[in-house]
Amino acid sequence: MAGHSVVGKSIIRLDALDKVTGKAKYCEDLKLPGMLYGKVLRSPYPHAHITSIDTSRAENISGVRAVITGRDVPEKRYGPSVFDQHTLARRVVRYVGDPVAAVAADSVEVAERALGLLKVEYEKLPAIFDIEEAWEKNPPVIVHRDLPKYELGKFPPLRLVPDRPNVCHLRMLRHGDVERGFKEADLIVENKFTTTRIQHCPFEPHGSIAQAESDGSLTIWAGRQSIFLARQYLCKLFDLLPSQVRVIASHYIGGGFGSKVTLYTEPIGVMLSMKTGRPVKLTFSREEMFSSGGTRIPFVIRIRDGVKKDGTLVARDMEMLLGMGAYAGSGPLITRNCIYGAVATYRIPNAKIDAYAVYTNEPPVTSFRGFGSSQVLWAIESQMDVIAEELGLDAVELRRKNLLEEGDTNITGEIVHSIGIRECLDKVAESLEGSPKSKMEGGPWRRGKGLALGNKYSMAPTAAVAIVKVKGDGTIEVHESADEIGQGCHTVLAQIAAEEFGVSVDEVKMVWGDTAFTPYFSRGSTSQRTTFNVGNAIRLACQDAKRQIFEIAAEKVHAQIQDMDIKDGAIYVRSDPSQRISVTELFTSERALSPGEFGDYVEPSAEILGKGVWVTRPAPSDPETAQIPENVARMGGRLAGFFGYGVQGVEVLVNIETGEVKVEKVVAASDVGYPLNPKMCEQQIEGGVAMGIGSALWEEVALDKGKVVNPNFGNYKIVTSINMPKIENVKVFLVSAPHKEGPYGAKGTGETQMTPTAPAVANAIYNAVGVRIKDLPITRERVFRVLREKAGG
Amino acid sequence: MPCEEVTYMKQRLELKVNGQTYEVLVDPWQSLADVLREELGFTGVKVSCNSGNCGSCTVLLDGKAVKSCIMFAPLAKGKEILTIEGLATESGLHPLQEAFIEHFAVQCGYCTPGMILMAKALLDENLDATEDEIREGLVGNLCRCTGYVKIVEAIMAAKEKMKVTSSH
Repeated sequence: MAGHSVVGKSIIRLDALDKVTGKAKYCEDLKLPGMLYGKVLRSPYPHAHITSIDTSRAENISGVRAVITGRDVPEKRYGPSVFDQHTLARRVVRYVGDPVAAVAADSVEVAERALGLLKVEYEKLPAIFDIEEAWEKNPPVIVHRDLPKYELGKFPPLRLVPDRPNVCHLRMLRHGDVERGFKEADLIVENKFTTTRIQHCPFEPHGSIAQAESDGSLTIWAGRQSIFLARQYLCKLFDLLPSQVRVIASHYIGGGFGSKVTLYTEPIGVMLSMKTGRPVKLTFSREEMFSSGGTRIPFVIRIRDGVKKDGTLVARDMEMLLGMGAYAGSGPLITRNCIYGAVATYRIPNAKIDAYAVYTNEPPVTSFRGFGSSQVLWAIESQMDVIAEELGLDAVELRRKNLLEEGDTNITGEIVHSIGIRECLDKVAESLEGSPKSKMEGGPWRRGKGLALGNKYSMAPTAAVAIVKVKGDGTIEVHESADEIGQGCHTVLAQIAAEEFGVSVDEVKMVWGDTAFTPYFSRGSTSQRTTFNVGNAIRLACQDAKRQIFEIAAEKVHAQIQDMDIKDGAIYVRSDPSQRISVTELFTSERALSPGEFGDYVEPSAEILGKGVWVTRPAPSDPETAQIPENVARMGGRLAGFFGYGVQGVEVLVNIETGEVKVEKVVAASDVGYPLNPKMCEQQIEGGVAMGIGSALWEEVALDKGKVVNPNFGNYKIVTSINMPKIENVKVFLVSAPHKEGPYGAKGTGETQMTPTAPAVANAIYNAVGVRIKDLPITRERVFRVLREKAGG
Repeated sequence: MPCEEVTYMKQRLELKVNGQTYEVLVDPWQSLADVLREELGFTGVKVSCNSGNCGSCTVLLDGKAVKSCIMFAPLAKGKEILTIEGLATESGLHPLQEAFIEHFAVQCGYCTPGMILMAKALLDENLDATEDEIREGLVGNLCRCTGYVKIVEAIMAAKEKMKVTSSH
């Protein structure tokens, strides 16, 4: 976009210097005077009664300051949607890894030793692991017998299904008449796809320091996403008021990817601190991250599509079962929102979706980059290639034919705005064109290419507030509460403030999140909402501060406020830029201050305060059908803040003797609205692609009767430097379909990026060797087995 | 059943870190990473998997990269230990640090210190390393944010700068 001097440029990240010199501090690096270290004893059984706990031997170890069990914690349950979880299990454990007791000690080593001396007796109960079995009407095991009596949160409003006792939420979408649609179809294609559990693997494990203050209030230093959500959850659990809980962002956060939204360490840390009066640091080991730190939701998806001969989609019916594990966490919200993955790409006249949140005795799940959209798109984008094949159409053309366009109505009734997916598709298809669809390579290797479309909404409602202080030295100080989880939010937000004031980012100082000092940001840096929402709040705050500055300056240079502008620390008259005054001059008193007198000057030590409030509101939609009323949609009523779009194409090599798959080339195009910092957009895309490749080919938290058998990087394989294509074979395109409300048109982009990767890989494998894998991950064993079956049959 | 009381002697250990000598009392089982971080405050040494799989804790011992989370601290006695805090000199940042900044090779930053030190060990050994050799060399240093694209780019760029410097 023309005329911008700071946004739209790849400004060097403000955090980079701290991070390459080792000066960056994370929660795990913080130490407080008198600090104790907490450790948690976890259930070895997937489902059991606790019959007794003997803590006496552990309590007698030198250096142990507190031991707590379920008897010590609130009777009240907590959770983001279903209040289904005790801080420590009180009577029943429901997964391998359920917290049973906790110790605070002078050192981690002493705490771990004490855990070994806790004696817990269990009476084993039958457990259930299969999502489809758990979903049945008369399941052999009910994970939460008291579910109908549990308190339910308000967001989202939950729908239990009385005759399916392990279901804690059912989300429904009804659009058009799906049965009529199938009658009109020339071809009906039905398939079942599944996804597995993957772990976020943020490099800094979950951690916090909790201090129970003497007045009953709490102070928490947390390496997490969303300090205000943590405050909300802790207030609810401990019956405190918002002003009694202070959550401080522990400066940098070593990755999030959705995993750090839920409370994992904080409640137990608080209980240990209450008992000892001392600050308690509780950090998960890598093994605990896998067993108890949340995973992506495994989905079972049945998809049935009706199409005309020419490829026009006329009906889509999806039934999805989402495995919550033992506690729902953010799972019901994902159950509500995952259907948006099916909403945003294609024009479908008749659609029906049912999504069920299902409890099992497996480890609890949580939000994960994509928030359900990745899993839904795994099914849809694999299915699109299946349909193209059956109709004898080109897979790209089939997609082009059905794409939503600006101004179209999607299957929730929302009118589509800011959709750059066609341009993304064109870019990727063109870039892949040079290579053949499939090809023999040397020896056992076969080459194939494939692509897939992705999208990810940003959740509404969202409220973000920013305060901008203009200091006497000309510095612009920005107060906001975004979480620096590695995405570089503070750099982009500083660019926005710098742009508004016409200065370089060096003149902008960002203040870190602290619920006691920085302003409200409802759900923090989750749902790729930061740039859009906090960015807008900052723009408004800058405008508010500038209005005040212009008022003072106008009087000084005898000009009209509306004629004034600001650049490089000086306020000037647009029609006559020689009439100017520097920001610092505003702060110089021309005469002595008389009591009560303000107006044409401010004192040198003062500051000018601008405030901006930005709220993104969703339209009301029918709980039975997920439809936005037509009149509301016409007035601009929307489902979400915005949709980000991405298309990815890959070239793979498949070894027909071993089933091994190598990703040789990636082409990724992403509609970011407007790239505020192009290099940082690329960072998100490349990182999303890598995580997507891992999820496609290897990543699986493997469970044996509910127990994680690969809880560390030794046998849970994330993408390494040799799994990614060479630099010259990773091509990234940034596409801009500006959003009318986005700051400079920008939309968030962190989550969109891994939504198309896995189906693109699967489609490429199909094109290489003619086998369709419908279950993630596409391990070499799976490919090998299906190749063998194909050869045999 | 673990025994309740473990008796042991803390050991006095002299470590040379970033050119300076430190004397610490350590438990015999303490890892080098733990001693560097918790006893000496070199928190640029990051511990992520604590099992030698991810490389975040990489430090250099007499110029060779080691995973300090799986090395007992006493084994570092008498060696020159380099952590990320000691990489920049009075004349400025190391070319790798500069390149990581300029090429946007940093995201959350947790793998960054180990990644940079591993790259230094690689390039000090072979300033003609190809992209493939660099990728092979980094295989034990995992990153969850970047997809390695910009990390490899940064190392390739630093390599060229280091060549110029070393030929002077």
